[in-house]
Amino acid sequence: MSVFSIQRRRFIDRFSGRLGFFGLTLIYALLVAACFGTLLQENELSLGRNPITNLLKTAGEFARPSFVDLWLGNPQLEYRSDDGTVLRVENRQEVEADYLAGLARATWTTIRIATLGSLLGALLALPLAVLTARNLAAPKALAGLAKIILDIARSIHTLVFGLVLVGIVGLGPTAGILAIGLHSMGTYGKLFAEAIEGLDMAAIDAVKSVGAGPTQVFFNAVWPSVLPQFVSSHLYVWEFNIRDSTILGLIGAGGLGLLITEATSLFQWGRLATVLLVIIVMVSSFDAISRRIRQALL
Amino acid sequence: MTARPCIALNGLSCTAAGRSLLQIEKLDIAQGERVAIVGHNGAGKSTLLRLLSGFMPPAHGQLSVLGRELGQPLASSELRALRLEVGQVLQGLHLVGRLTVLENVLIGSLGRVTGWRSWTRCFPANEVASATEALQAVGLLARAEARADKLSGGERQKVAIARLLLQGPRLILADEPTAALDPAAAAEVCQLLVNAAAGATLISVVHNPALLPLLADRVIGLKQGRIAFDLPTVAVDEKKLLDFYVADAAG
Repeated sequence: MSVFSIQRRRFIDRFSGRLGFFGLTLIYALLVAACFGTLLQENELSLGRNPITNLLKTAGEFARPSFVDLWLGNPQLEYRSDDGTVLRVENRQEVEADYLAGLARATWTTIRIATLGSLLGALLALPLAVLTARNLAAPKALAGLAKIILDIARSIHTLVFGLVLVGIVGLGPTAGILAIGLHSMGTYGKLFAEAIEGLDMAAIDAVKSVGAGPTQVFFNAVWPSVLPQFVSSHLYVWEFNIRDSTILGLIGAGGLGLLITEATSLFQWGRLATVLLVIIVMVSSFDAISRRIRQALL
Repeated sequence: MTARPCIALNGLSCTAAGRSLLQIEKLDIAQGERVAIVGHNGAGKSTLLRLLSGFMPPAHGQLSVLGRELGQPLASSELRALRLEVGQVLQGLHLVGRLTVLENVLIGSLGRVTGWRSWTRCFPANEVASATEALQAVGLLARAEARADKLSGGERQKVAIARLLLQGPRLILADEPTAALDPAAAAEVCQLLVNAAAGATLISVVHNPALLPLLADRVIGLKQGRIAFDLPTVAVDEKKLLDFYVADAAG
């Protein structure tokens, strides 16, 4: 082999990685350009007729969430027809109090859907995770089947599951619970299997080496290393599902999503602001609690 | 020697994936003997220890450990009974990382503590007292409540030795217990190991010649799965060891 060909070989070896990365970057840039260019060509990138005014109007209503009417609302709001006759008088403060009570019930429904759905998903995923964990070496056919089930569950969105299930079990929280459970089963299965695969085999050998039986090995080596991982994954997905289940009302599974649909279709941005505030408080407080527990566990 | 044999090997061979790992014509080790095994990586040292602890069955030949025949694969209950009496300190720092130091020591009592107590790790008070004593003996009492994965390498080996003390085995197998330790910690761990092995047979794999007199009265050199020499420690000086290692590398 000549010196030249060796040098050339080295040149390719040294730069092939960078060239490959450059190629990928180029493909990505082309994809972005294609997405943007075709939309522009089809004239689908307009912002509407008067975006600024609409934005200001919406933002203004958002800035005054409906719950402030609890104190500031007009107690004698009169609805009149065009000729001035009084059609109806309502106490805005009472109306808003009723709305907030409904909101509290919807929030509780959402929490119930997320909690039961998460538990269902975790329980369904457990045997599948045991089958797919590579270090447990389950029979190939069963492992493959379990992996396919988990992949399908993970790739179908909760909303799609929900739409199908509403058709099967009817409107209501049951459809929501099943939808959350089926979709998060996929996520749980992956996380659980990873926890099992990360099992410390040295710890198992340590307990085995003193002559412990299988149950003793399980409780003294497997359980202590896997349980915190399981609890941590469970909290993580549960938290995710609390967020996810707020949207399920959109398809008739009840809960906060129903109020969101209502508020958006009636253009009641103030009420939407109230609902969103509740969601933000709920999700971020659950997030804070679960993060603290997870940190304590690891 | 008149002491009854702790280990007796006869015409033993062991193969894996078509490669011969171990070929030993005859080897007897009496109860209470302290034996060091030296040799290159791949000479069969770890294989020998794995055979003795029943983690691996021999391909051919007779092998008796503590009066049990290991020629054929043992039933799992017999294997557990054997392991109760065989204590192991391995180079891989074998502890349950998520349990506390005290709980790791208490694992040594799993042969005596059974049923729900061993499942919930609610060990009886007398075992906890012995475990505390064992930790005191290795100088780790202050870290009893620390999690095992927060310990340094030397501390972990001391926990493994405290576990031995609680287990009270008749045979101790130490596979490079000081591999990851600095010289001072290595000497300390070896001394603790020898103390823990009082009355028991101690078989250790070591590379550091300075530790040989501390750990063993008898040194067995393994070369490509065969016994190259079997001498009292006093007859094995540093030069002989060096020649042994260099010759093996050349061969």
